Amino acid sequence: MSVVSIQNLTRDYGGHRGVFDVSFAVDEGEAFGFLGPNGAGKTTTIRHLMGFLKPRAGVCQIGGMDCWAQRAQIQRTLGYVPGEIAFFDDMTGTEYLRFIARYRGMQGTGRQRELLERFDLNPAGRIKKMSKGMKQKLGIVAALMHDPSILILDEPTSGLDPLMQSRFIELVMHEKERGKTILMSSHMFEEVERTCHRVGIIRQGKLVAVDSVDALKAKQQKKYIITFENSKAAEAFCKEDLHTEMLTHHRVAVTVGDTIRDLIAALNRYPVQNLTAPNQSLEEIFLQYYGGEAE
Amino acid sequence: MNATLYKREMKSSWKLLVIFAAILALYVVMIIVMYSPEMLTMFRQFNETMPQMMAAFSMDFTEESLTLLGYMVSGLYGYILLLFPMIFAIIRGNGLVARYVDRGSMASLLAAPVKRRTVAITQMMVLITGIVALVVFTTALEIVTIAAYAPKQAETGRLLLVNLGLLGLQLFIGGVCFLSSCVFNESRTSLAFGAGIPGVMFVLQLLAQAGDKTESLKYATFFTLFRPEAIAAGTSGAMGGVMVLFIGAALLYAGAVVAFSRRDLAV
Repeated sequence: MSVVSIQNLTRDYGGHRGVFDVSFAVDEGEAFGFLGPNGAGKTTTIRHLMGFLKPRAGVCQIGGMDCWAQRAQIQRTLGYVPGEIAFFDDMTGTEYLRFIARYRGMQGTGRQRELLERFDLNPAGRIKKMSKGMKQKLGIVAALMHDPSILILDEPTSGLDPLMQSRFIELVMHEKERGKTILMSSHMFEEVERTCHRVGIIRQGKLVAVDSVDALKAKQQKKYIITFENSKAAEAFCKEDLHTEMLTHHRVAVTVGDTIRDLIAALNRYPVQNLTAPNQSLEEIFLQYYGGEAE
Repeated sequence: MNATLYKREMKSSWKLLVIFAAILALYVVMIIVMYSPEMLTMFRQFNETMPQMMAAFSMDFTEESLTLLGYMVSGLYGYILLLFPMIFAIIRGNGLVARYVDRGSMASLLAAPVKRRTVAITQMMVLITGIVALVVFTTALEIVTIAAYAPKQAETGRLLLVNLGLLGLQLFIGGVCFLSSCVFNESRTSLAFGAGIPGVMFVLQLLAQAGDKTESLKYATFFTLFRPEAIAAGTSGAMGGVMVLFIGAALLYAGAVVAFSRRDLAV
C-alpha cells in the first residue's frame, strides 16, 4: 500500500519553473530517493506534501489523507527535515527542542536524548551562534524526536560534514529497518543509492524516471582517471579495447559499464601510479541513463 | 489556541510592553499632576484676554474641556495614546506572522499537528493581549493618579468610556497590521502596509485637526471614528464610531485568520 502518493501534481511558476504533471508513490516501509539538480522542483513537490502549497492541479496524499485539507492531522506521524532550517534565533537549542516538543503536544522528550547522542550535539548554546552543521543536526533532532512513521527529508545532509553525513545515512537506514516510510530528496546519486530502494528523477519540473537503484546502477557507467608513470604507457593503454580518453600526457580517463574486470586485467600490465573515481554529477548519470538523448 | 506558542510569544512581547507602559505612564502621570485650579484660572484669563491667540494654538478651551477629563483628552488622547500603542501593534503585528514566513521559521510551526487556523488565532491573541494590556494599564493608572491628585474631579464612568473607545481604535489598528502580516510573503511588504496605512491615517487625523481648511480630511481617516472629546462631554451617539471600530476590528482579524489558513506558503 502506498503511504505517500502524488498524482498529476502541477504548479506552474512560469518560465519553465515549477512542477508539471508529477506522479509517483512511496510504499509503506519503503525508502524513496527523489533526485534532481538544484531548481528542478524537488522542494516545490515536498512543499505540496507538507501542505504549505495547494496543488493547482493534481492530488497529494499521505496515509490516504489529502495533504492540503488534512495537513495538521498528517503531521502527527510525519517528520520533516528541510534543507535549510530557519529557527527562532532568540532561543537556545535546548529551549527550541523543549518548545517544539510541547508545541507538538508530546508527552516527555521522546527520542531527543538518543538523537542528540547519535549526532554528538550539545544544544545548550544560542541558535544564532551555531554553525550551519549544528543547526542542521538540531533540525534533524527536532524533526525525529517524536518518532514519526513517515520521514520527509529535503536534502537533509546539506551542511553536515562527511562523518555526520554518513551518520545520518546510518540513521536513515536504521529507520528504514524499523519500518519507516522515507522520502529523501537529493542532488547526489551517491547519497540515495546507499539508503533508497527506488529513485525518481526530476528534471525541469518533470519526473523523467522512476526506477530501482539497482537498475540505475546497472545502466550507470563509472568513470576512472588513471595516472601512469610515463606518457608512453598512457599512449599504449589508450590502444586497449576500452572506452578511453587522453586527458594529459600521463592521465587517461576510462568509462566502464560492466567491463570492470577487463579494466583491472588491462591495468595489471601497465605502470600505474594512481587511480581515482571522481563523483559523478547527477547530470552525467542522467545523460547515461538516457543514452545522451537529453537536451 | 496553542498554549506553548502563546507563552513563547508573550515572552517576546513582554519587554516591548514594559517599555511602552513606562512611556505611557510618564505622560499620563505628568498630565494629570499638572492639572490644578491655578492652571484653570490661567487658561480662563487667556481665553478672555486674547481669544484669537488661544484659538490659533487650538487651546481655546471651553468650560467643558476645562474639566480634568476634557483636559486629559486634549493632552493625552490626541497624540500620545494614539501613537504609542499603534507603534506596538505595528511591531508585533509584523513580527507575529510575516517575519516568520519571510525567514522560513514558520515551517517549524506548520510541520507539527497544529492547524494553521490555530497558529493564526494564537498569534492574534498575543497581539490583542498586548493591546488590551496597554489600554487597561493606562486606564488603571489614570484612575489611581486621579484618585491621588484630583479625587473631586474623578469622572470614572466617562473615563472608562473614553478608554473603551481607545481600545476599539487600537484593536482596529492592530487588525490592519495583523491582516497585512497574514497576507504578505515578505516582512518588508507587510510592514509597508501594516505601518503605512495606520501611519498615513494618523497624519491625516493630525492635519484634519490643525485647521479649518484641512478639516474635511477627517472623512478620509478612520481615526475620526474615535471622538474622545465627544465621549468625555457625554455627547449622545459619541460611541457609535467606537462600535464601528470594534466591528471593523473583528472583521479584520477574522479575515486575517482565514487568509492565512488558505494561502500558499513558500516556507
